[in-house]
Amino acid sequence: MWRYILRRLLLLPLVALGVTFLLFLLTQRLSPEMRASLYIKDPRQMGALEEVIQKYGLRDNVFKQYGRWLSSALQGDLGYSHSANMPVARAIKEYLPATVQLAVATILLVVFFGVWFGAVSAVKKDKWQDVCARLLSVGGFSLPIFVLGLLLLMFFYGKLGWFPPGGYSVATDAVIHSPSFHTYTGFLLIDSLLNGNMRVFGDVLRHLVLPAVTLCIGSFALMVRVMRSSMLEELGKDYVRTARAKGLPERTVVYRHAGKNAVIPVITLAGIQFIRLLGGTVIVETIFDYPGIGRFGVTAAQQLDIAGIMGFSLMVAVLFVLGNLFSDILYTAVDPRIKLNE
Amino acid sequence: MNAREDTLLSVEDLRVSFSTEQGRTEVLRGVSYRLQKGKVLAVVGESGCGKTVQALSLLNLLPAGGEIKSGRILFKGKDILSLSPQQLRKVRGAEIGMIFQDPMTSLNPIRCVGKQIVETILAHKNCSKLQAKARAVRLLRKVGIEKPRKRLREYPFQFSGGQRQRIMIAMALCLHPDLLIADEPTTALDVTIQAQILKLIKTLQKQSGMATVFITHNLAIVADIADDVLVLYAGYCVEQAPAEELFAQPLHPYTKGLLHSLVSLKHKAEHLPAIEGYPPAPGMPQEGCPFAPRCPHVQDRCRVQLPPLFERNGRQVRCWLQENA
Repeated sequence: MWRYILRRLLLLPLVALGVTFLLFLLTQRLSPEMRASLYIKDPRQMGALEEVIQKYGLRDNVFKQYGRWLSSALQGDLGYSHSANMPVARAIKEYLPATVQLAVATILLVVFFGVWFGAVSAVKKDKWQDVCARLLSVGGFSLPIFVLGLLLLMFFYGKLGWFPPGGYSVATDAVIHSPSFHTYTGFLLIDSLLNGNMRVFGDVLRHLVLPAVTLCIGSFALMVRVMRSSMLEELGKDYVRTARAKGLPERTVVYRHAGKNAVIPVITLAGIQFIRLLGGTVIVETIFDYPGIGRFGVTAAQQLDIAGIMGFSLMVAVLFVLGNLFSDILYTAVDPRIKLNE
Repeated sequence: MNAREDTLLSVEDLRVSFSTEQGRTEVLRGVSYRLQKGKVLAVVGESGCGKTVQALSLLNLLPAGGEIKSGRILFKGKDILSLSPQQLRKVRGAEIGMIFQDPMTSLNPIRCVGKQIVETILAHKNCSKLQAKARAVRLLRKVGIEKPRKRLREYPFQFSGGQRQRIMIAMALCLHPDLLIADEPTTALDVTIQAQILKLIKTLQKQSGMATVFITHNLAIVADIADDVLVLYAGYCVEQAPAEELFAQPLHPYTKGLLHSLVSLKHKAEHLPAIEGYPPAPGMPQEGCPFAPRCPHVQDRCRVQLPPLFERNGRQVRCWLQENA
């Protein structure tokens, strides 16, 4: 198991290298002049183009340029993001935790409701519970996420005032930037607990609800489907008949025996959805003015912020490998037949 | 003691049908038998004749789509089919144990075998987990699993097919049931393992004195283990007799055919005698005796009129040839 994890981690630099190099190649499609112009803010200084090209070696061959980017990246310097107006590394450190919080909250909701609805759907196949669960999930799936997000925002914030947009309130902003508040992990939910500040915790959680629910409704339909079909398959298997023949209570038969087996494919799906959430929550982040990494990535792409794009892709590649590794490890916890050494 | 008091299980006119695309199909068409305490009844027949359906009915455990249309199953005086789910649950596993055909798929693959045995005990007995575990260890040792304490923590995939069937047997017997239903327990195993498992079942059956319904298509096993034999064909009981008498003198042409193909294995024949043709597919509309198309002694009447079960010296045969015998 440890050897497997180690091997997968050794793969990590390879993936990161591949992704960033491909991207770097793409940026070379822009002429050196075009890339140089990105450094210049003031149109009147366009005459300095050649100077910039010389300074940053934009005419050097690709490998040399990539080597320069790589060596500074290895020293923790990912360049300066002009779209975010701060170094890329700092931007990631600032924005990623909020998105991770959102993705974790979402995936927990998705798995919980997906497994629950899917299991009930399978057990009560073709009864009203099944029809309801299917209608609900398909409904959520077919509603565009920006429509759903806006509707929720209008009702729960505009009308009821329960869940405001943004990452946290002004009062919380003051607290977390005061010297008495220690930043341990960058994850506000964890840091607030470590600081023993329940008010901040509650506030952050409150701002998390609407974006998480929106993302959940948009993506749990697939989970319900997978769980339902997997559960139906398990319920027809011989060991379920054995469990009944032993005189176990029906609840035990359905949930402990069939349910636990049925949840295995759900783990794969949850892993994929989680990784997708990390890079793809941009619409929701925009609607709810949530300070996440998705917005950083999209803004960087729109403004041709090459350093920002490179940094963002590197981050996604790393998270992708780690996320897959995590779901592999989770498998072994559920299914004893899977051993991670081969 | 008269026979009636001694009866453990009596099945009366059991009819089971399944819903298929063509509508409802009868797979069991009125099967009746009685099983005395401590006796072994073998149910034999070709694939698809209703053996397994008959066995599953005894626990009211038919798969989706299956329905018991009529009949009664009296077990220790209780009508299994009219029990509430709660009462039925108490009978399953505790009073009637069951072993299935394929030990590869009949155990939960991601639950360690100890848990699977212990949960059975705990579902019926008011005892501590530790006591249940101790019992599971004893059981595994009894069915011939070595190092039972260690192996309790292992998962089904870590056992061989024969060992898994031993575990199934341990699980079926863990509450000393009065009746064991064994549905082709050796079919999925290697021949050498088959003999071991069969011997184990026989020994345990003798020791505990439990009655057994043993389902098989293998007549060699029947001769070895059974007191009585019930021959099923296309959902009908075609012959029922004490094992010795049946082997000495089969009455129904189908039984004769089965025995003939068995005996011939002992003498090297040039070609293996078999019963020509196939049993009718379930759901085929049918008149007369279901065996008529394959029967060497078929008469005109057989094709139009279903023979009743004739009583002959305590045996039962469904064949017109026996009408005036």
